[in-house]
Amino acid sequence: MKRILAATTVTALTLMATACGAETSSSAGEDFPRQGKSVEIVVAFAPGGAVDTAARLVQPVLERELGTNVEVVNKPGAGGQIGYTALTSAKPDGYTIGATGSPSVVVTPLDPARGANFTRADFQPLGRQVIDPAVVAVQPDSPYQNLDDLLKAAKDKPDTITATTTGQQGGEHFAIAQIKEATGAALSPVHFSEGASQATTAFLGKHVEVLVANVSDVTDLVKQGKAKVLGVMDSERAEALPEVPTFTESGHDVVAATARGYSAPAGLPEPVAQKLEAALKTAVEDPAVVAKMDDLGLATSYQSAADYEKFWAQQETDYKTVLPLVQAK
Amino acid sequence: MDVLNELLAGFASALTWQNLLFAFIGCLLGTMIGVLPGIGPVAGVALLIPLTLNLDAAGSIIMLCAIFYGTTYGGTITSVLLNTPGEAASAITALDGYAMTKIGRAGVALTIAAAGSFIGGSLATAGLVVAAKPLGGLGLMIGPPEFFALVVVGISLLVALAGRSMVRALISGALGLLISMVGIDPVAGAPRFTFGIERLLDGVSFVAVIVGLFGLSEVLSYRPGRDKVTVQAPGMRSLLPTRTDWRRSAPAIARGTGVGFGLGLIPGMTGSVSSLLSYGAEKKFSKYRHELGNGAIEGVAGPESANNAHANGALIPLFTLGIPASPTIAVLMGAFLQQGLTPGPTLFAEHAEIAWTIIASLFIGNILLLVLNVPLVGLWTSILKVPYPILSALILMFMVVGAYTINFSVFDVFVMVLFGVIGLILRNLDIPLAPLVLTLVLGPLMERSLRESLDISRGDLTIFLDRPVTVVLLLIALGIVASPLLKLRKPAALVAEDPET
Repeated sequence: MKRILAATTVTALTLMATACGAETSSSAGEDFPRQGKSVEIVVAFAPGGAVDTAARLVQPVLERELGTNVEVVNKPGAGGQIGYTALTSAKPDGYTIGATGSPSVVVTPLDPARGANFTRADFQPLGRQVIDPAVVAVQPDSPYQNLDDLLKAAKDKPDTITATTTGQQGGEHFAIAQIKEATGAALSPVHFSEGASQATTAFLGKHVEVLVANVSDVTDLVKQGKAKVLGVMDSERAEALPEVPTFTESGHDVVAATARGYSAPAGLPEPVAQKLEAALKTAVEDPAVVAKMDDLGLATSYQSAADYEKFWAQQETDYKTVLPLVQAK
Repeated sequence: MDVLNELLAGFASALTWQNLLFAFIGCLLGTMIGVLPGIGPVAGVALLIPLTLNLDAAGSIIMLCAIFYGTTYGGTITSVLLNTPGEAASAITALDGYAMTKIGRAGVALTIAAAGSFIGGSLATAGLVVAAKPLGGLGLMIGPPEFFALVVVGISLLVALAGRSMVRALISGALGLLISMVGIDPVAGAPRFTFGIERLLDGVSFVAVIVGLFGLSEVLSYRPGRDKVTVQAPGMRSLLPTRTDWRRSAPAIARGTGVGFGLGLIPGMTGSVSSLLSYGAEKKFSKYRHELGNGAIEGVAGPESANNAHANGALIPLFTLGIPASPTIAVLMGAFLQQGLTPGPTLFAEHAEIAWTIIASLFIGNILLLVLNVPLVGLWTSILKVPYPILSALILMFMVVGAYTINFSVFDVFVMVLFGVIGLILRNLDIPLAPLVLTLVLGPLMERSLRESLDISRGDLTIFLDRPVTVVLLLIALGIVASPLLKLRKPAALVAEDPET
């Protein structure tokens, strides 16, 4: 018994010691990552969504590249705001990084009503992983068998057809607003702030009629014959859904996509940033990871830290114009 | 018979000596980690995933399942022995588990907990084998309005958890709701009750709160001289449950398994909801309900069966729909993905062999938990032979380290201490703690599902009245709430024989 107690105590003390050790680590970050100190990837969404899955796929390769433990930590809620707040308020020492997805990360600080205490400047982008176009899907036995059916019905009876989002001002909410702006068809959003798996569950249970999601969320559902995708909000067809027409093809100029990458709290020491960026590049472009991402319907689209930062700034400009459409009334 | 054949083939590939060794190591490591408060099954499994990466798919999943069972059981050990819940799902076990420890029946509590976990887990896994498909569909029937109505039923059990005074129970329940509201509003994103403190944006950690409320306040309320040292180390004899214990546990285990399995099917429910509702069910329906809170075996058997049945039941949405129904399952799903397996109905079509091996390994994990932990019960309980002054110091150290390890932050230690003091005040005012825990767990679920429902109905409250399932559930809740009023007719008789209810 004593031995077991001693062992647990030692484990506990080691955990404590390693965590305290970080406080005194050199500010230059040359020794990053220190032995035995693990790196956390904060995912601002519930487990099981595309962001979470991507992070969990990247995690083992990152672990190998950095030579230390990497843990995925879910901090869901408020459309990502809780997780982003946790990320930006963490110490910029490289031991906390996070998955950042647009539009949530771009939009949250733009709306003063949300009281976000971070801005774009609080993030240090490390690299982009995927671009995931938005889709509109219905039940296979839905009365709306093509995009025009659905849009016409939503125009005739505005705000009666329910559609899922993963939270107010999330990507799906923006997509719904963009559809309304471009076509006049008004879907009624139902916000599932816990993320895509709750939204999908409600859709599968026929509690909500239309599933607005990303290509990756619906790929497996389509394989199982549980969802019929009516349109992809992109200028090109999605590789994972080759038979589904785009909105552009159907004559509606709606392009909406979620972009996902990884960022750290701003102010990383240069050597740490370089190590993380390099490790991420390897992990994102790892053939096994890319193949598994493809299986999930996620097209890998890597961008370096610098490019991802530019992309981010561009998105910020774009979303500022549509923001009034999705603000809480 | 097809299913049986495939299951047997699964057992054949799971039962190699290497896999058994992995399962054994996993169970042991899991228990060690689970004993630390703060690190629950989710973090425990996540922490140990790297250990399994170099194994083959079957081996790694078997080890992870074993780790998972181990951490769950480890949490129970500290709940029972030290009144310090090692994880959320075992919080409610502390009420009667620790009361049993005080009367020298810790061994019985731990043995029954292991048996209940085994039975709950195995039955739920059996459910997965025979009826995964229809049951998976059943979970889907629960949309946001039904979810809300179900949570209302849970909250109504507050009535059952009330001690002598309903007012005090309501105070406790309201306090729990208030605490659960701290943090960022999950729908609109506005900060609530954070007083500008950034650390509070995330809310307060549930484990820190319950460790403070139960464990720390217990230590603080000990007064030397006045209180006799009540904790008794059990003798070898008293480690084993008597026939009466078994007979009394059986219905509780059955109810717990039912509650846990049912809730496990519903994506979004957590194991702690199952154990709480199972405790509520015991308070309401057990023949020995008046003994609950004073060391009744039902209070251990029910919740412990429920949280394991929940954990295994939650695999059904994973296997049939590809939806991870709980955070722990999501971690397991991550491990699947790393092995190149996408959980969901396609798993059975594309990798049937591995799917059945995993199911077989769930049974094996459950059995190992039993054979490993029952002999160890004697070892664990011998911790109580440590003299109380030293033991209480150890408990304190344990709680501080545990609170710290939740987020590796001292903030949680302060939260724990604060709730220790609050717990002490509540104890002195004779306000029961169980309602607080109930609303603390259910409050956020209730808020979320209510707002989702109203989004669906566009603000129309009649959505709860035109769905048959919600109507039935709401009526049940109403019945539970009204039941003490019906008792008012014969208060004298009840008070005399029923001091706790």
